[in-house]
Amino acid sequence: MTTAAIVTTIIMSLVFIIGLVFCFTQIGKGGKWED
Amino acid sequence: MAELTRERWGGRSFFLFAAMGSAIGLGNVWRFPALTYEYGGGAFLIAWIIGLIILGIPWMMMEFGMGRLFQKGAPGVFEGIGKKWEWLGWWPVFVAFLIVTYYAVVIAWSLNYAASSATVAWGTGEAGAANAGAYFYGDVLNLSSGPTALGGLQWPIVGALVGVWVILFFIMFKGARVIGKVAVWTVIIPWALLIVLLIRGLTLPGAAEGLNYYLAPDFGALTNPDLWFGAFSQIAFTLSLGMAGMFAYGSFIAKKADINNNAFITSFSNCATSFFAGFAVFSIVGFIMQALSVPVGEVSASGLGLAFVTYPVAISMMPAMAAVTGVIFFICFFFLGIDSAFFLTYGGVIAPLRDKFGWGRAKVTAVICAIALVIGLIYTTGSGLYWLDIVDRTVSFYGLLITGALACIVVGWVYGADKLREHMNATSDFKIGAWFDWMIKIVVPAGLLFVVSWGGFKNDIVDAYGGYAIGPFNGSHIIWIILAVTLGLSFWLQAAKTRGLKAPKEVKEE
Repeated sequence: MTTAAIVTTIIMSLVFIIGLVFCFTQIGKGGKWED
Repeated sequence: MAELTRERWGGRSFFLFAAMGSAIGLGNVWRFPALTYEYGGGAFLIAWIIGLIILGIPWMMMEFGMGRLFQKGAPGVFEGIGKKWEWLGWWPVFVAFLIVTYYAVVIAWSLNYAASSATVAWGTGEAGAANAGAYFYGDVLNLSSGPTALGGLQWPIVGALVGVWVILFFIMFKGARVIGKVAVWTVIIPWALLIVLLIRGLTLPGAAEGLNYYLAPDFGALTNPDLWFGAFSQIAFTLSLGMAGMFAYGSFIAKKADINNNAFITSFSNCATSFFAGFAVFSIVGFIMQALSVPVGEVSASGLGLAFVTYPVAISMMPAMAAVTGVIFFICFFFLGIDSAFFLTYGGVIAPLRDKFGWGRAKVTAVICAIALVIGLIYTTGSGLYWLDIVDRTVSFYGLLITGALACIVVGWVYGADKLREHMNATSDFKIGAWFDWMIKIVVPAGLLFVVSWGGFKNDIVDAYGGYAIGPFNGSHIIWIILAVTLGLSFWLQAAKTRGLKAPKEVKEE
């Protein structure tokens, strides 16, 4: 793979990992699942 | 009789898996990677992420939020805004129904191919690779000369289609609790299979070259409107929005449960799956380029061509584990499709009908499955692929984009995006700001109308879609007719009496 393709892979992976980790750390801070 | 309770997901994880399963479908594999390659690799990903943030996530929050707020499917939501808007909830119901009539057929093809992959029925080696296209269009589809030359039913496809609808019935007839539990497996299994396919792809010669085509950025492409059209359209299609179902899925969420975070998790998970699937697809593309000494432009990397021609070509050329890889790929396809299918059928069609008419779940599920099966038979004929193409263009492009844009406008300006935001923020894990209001009121509708104008009206009004001739009509005429008929039926359903079977004002946990 070229350097540019590798950089793209790393950046996109970080976007998704950071985004999802943030979301999962917020679980339970507001809503309650049961009525 | 009328429901005195609103059905609920068995827990948050079940809802999340059901929502992710509905979003993660065939398009993640056969549309996203090819678009990324076509529109500048890494540069396309920038536009795609922007589209996700400003268009996809607000739209998903709106559908989840309005469904949860009114505790109804799409028609009930818009009836709640004002009786005169109820039709706007029914129109996407028809979109969902027509999509699933052909989507189930594609899933049936996957079952057929999972079986034929066991023996690599189209042949091995270069002879098999050369025969893959003829096998699909000839042996499997028996493709006729045009939409009006129906040809006979392809009985292996019919058999698989019946199997698909029987499976769907048994998943759906007990409602959201069972759907949520099934979705856990229909999401995890394809993820696991994609990992297997990725490992297989990366171990093939030429894989790295294929990935370079997938990912290498061409930032000059960012000035090309087609890139933005491709990115926004992919976001619109991939999240299963504009198909009524997410309103219903949201309506099964408890009244104090989170909306915002669930929308972010669902959207990010779906897009991460797309990005990941691209590696599995383009490693195979690279392998074919090297094995057959052809340029990337000659390898079909999108749509039906990728799934049922290109991948079989790769299977034929694989030095080892060809049959196993083929079976895994098509079983993966089956699982990718099946949860989107029960989302479309249950959330998109059955839940709204039950909301309106109060029909029993098992009965209406059986009837809808049977009707969809019968309509789907058209796609199992020799002309099925042509009709699939026309109906797909009608509902999966025009239908969901137009209804999605109108829904956002009505929610944003008539109901009030700020009221919806306050409702969602009151129970969500994190709060969203006033930016959401302007996304729903202006940006999302504008983005969707840009896509439908740039990629649709601009072409299909000038040139007849697909070059089809159907009696006195062409492909574009059929598209406008289907849209007009479904719109008319939506107004008819709005006017239909509910025979007094209205849902209660106070909704209790089932």
